[in-house]
Amino acid sequence: MILETLADFLTVSELGSVLVEGLAKSALYVMIASGLTLIFGLMGVLNFAHGSLTMVGAYLGGLVMVLTVSQSTGLVGRLGLFFVAIVLVFGALTLLGGAIETTIIRPLYDRPPIYQILLTFGLTLVVDEVVRIVLGLYGMQPLSDWQAALATKPQLLREPAALGPIEVRWLSVFEILLGVLTVAAIWAFLTRTRYGLYIRAGSEDTEMASALGIDVRQVFTVVFALGIGLAGAAGTLLMWDVAWGASVPLAAETLLPAFIVVIVGGLGTFRGTVVASLVVGMTDSTMTWWFQNYVTFTGLPELMLFLVLVVTLIVRPQGLFGVEEVGGH
Amino acid sequence: MSLLELDGVHAYYGDSHILEGVDLSVEDGEVVALVGRNGVGKTTTLRSILQLTPPREGEIRFREASLVGLETHEVAQQGVGWIPEDRRIFSQLTVEENLRAAIPGSDGVSDGLALAFDSFPILEERRRQEAGTLSGGQQQMLAIARGLVGENDLLLVDEPSEGLAPQIVADVAEALSEASEDATMLLVEQNLPLALDLADRFYIVDNGRVVDTGDADAVSADDERFRRYLSA
Repeated sequence: MILETLADFLTVSELGSVLVEGLAKSALYVMIASGLTLIFGLMGVLNFAHGSLTMVGAYLGGLVMVLTVSQSTGLVGRLGLFFVAIVLVFGALTLLGGAIETTIIRPLYDRPPIYQILLTFGLTLVVDEVVRIVLGLYGMQPLSDWQAALATKPQLLREPAALGPIEVRWLSVFEILLGVLTVAAIWAFLTRTRYGLYIRAGSEDTEMASALGIDVRQVFTVVFALGIGLAGAAGTLLMWDVAWGASVPLAAETLLPAFIVVIVGGLGTFRGTVVASLVVGMTDSTMTWWFQNYVTFTGLPELMLFLVLVVTLIVRPQGLFGVEEVGGH
Repeated sequence: MSLLELDGVHAYYGDSHILEGVDLSVEDGEVVALVGRNGVGKTTTLRSILQLTPPREGEIRFREASLVGLETHEVAQQGVGWIPEDRRIFSQLTVEENLRAAIPGSDGVSDGLALAFDSFPILEERRRQEAGTLSGGQQQMLAIARGLVGENDLLLVDEPSEGLAPQIVADVAEALSEASEDATMLLVEQNLPLALDLADRFYIVDNGRVVDTGDADAVSADDERFRRYLSA
């Protein structure tokens, strides 16, 4: 039985499909986790509110789409409006992130890390509850996906795509493209701009960076704001994916894989986050295929992600690209 | 008026009283050495100037303006550079990126890099290499170059010869000697002959305060005062 399933798995069509789905999951994971890793890498702040702000991004992105897309809006129009939504949500969440950092995170920098963990965890509860209240005011169900937002997805992204013998979803191809764009944009920002240089220097040694004249507190604000903006942009993309969708539970659903990716990659390293996203995405995709075709146990693929985490922590506790100590203030 | 003046500076780590009223001054163009045994407060003096360990009492003036209460980056922006103990280069950045991080603004990048590479040609050969992969001596050269390119009026140099092989110490001494022709320095150095060779004046620090001072040219390393305060 297992040999027959293995033979099926190793066919070009199945392996190709698993590969493309794995890349799509990797793209989503890298978008969800990169804000978290940037914030921890520089500031040493484990932002437990990251998932909740991703969920807010999903609802805001959905709101822009629901308000602007009509039945007659075609493929190009919907894709164009989607990119407008991503830019608007990124901008709004970046401003919100800046406000959160300056008003409630900054006063806690000189306190032990547990204060920031408790604060961001508390922020999660507040954000989730506020979203529930707002949804309640409009008669929307907080626990199930926002169908009106899902319905703004172009018809093409609901259909399968044939890449030679490999059958995949167009949405997966779209997610891969957005993931590649996101990684390229963050990479260029970190390595080609002066601010990116300050962020990388500050991530290694905030005291030394300050002594070179870099206003590290200002860099903290910018990084926190951009990290939250990225969370919002990721949420907008997830809003179109039926596996995720805009709902209040999206907060927890995204926070767990984001933490797994960030820890496996090495806390605070963007390169590690990209590689770990690939490892976790591919594992997820492969295990999903196996547990759909060999053993029927739908919850097991998610458990396998934790297995990746446990194995990493045993073999290389600092993560794939981690250093012993990062971040701080 | 002195470039830098410390007047009755007291600093603490938690409840530990480290500096117990440090008084010293550095004139424009001088190299001043702070010498003393381990743990007497030399490094803390430099950290207090940078406001990394802010003083609880006393005054620190740079070009007659108080530094007390400023943020560290504001002190640095006034022209105070730091070449720290243990180098503290950014190990995951390339050599060139380490230098760029120290150059204020983008206008002076090419001049800054040229200055660093003129002083330390090996750094130009390794400019694309991750700084963490350099040898200890090369990392020290990078730390010094990073201090030089910052357009600083005053350099705080902490134990530049610590942990280096004798030949590398000679190279570092030569680089600091060349740098001292254009820069004012406050130098902390355990290697007394090296400190006296580079410095115009010295202060002896003991138990968190200055206990003696003099002209470096007028003493030798086996002076009785150094034996009294520097011997273990």
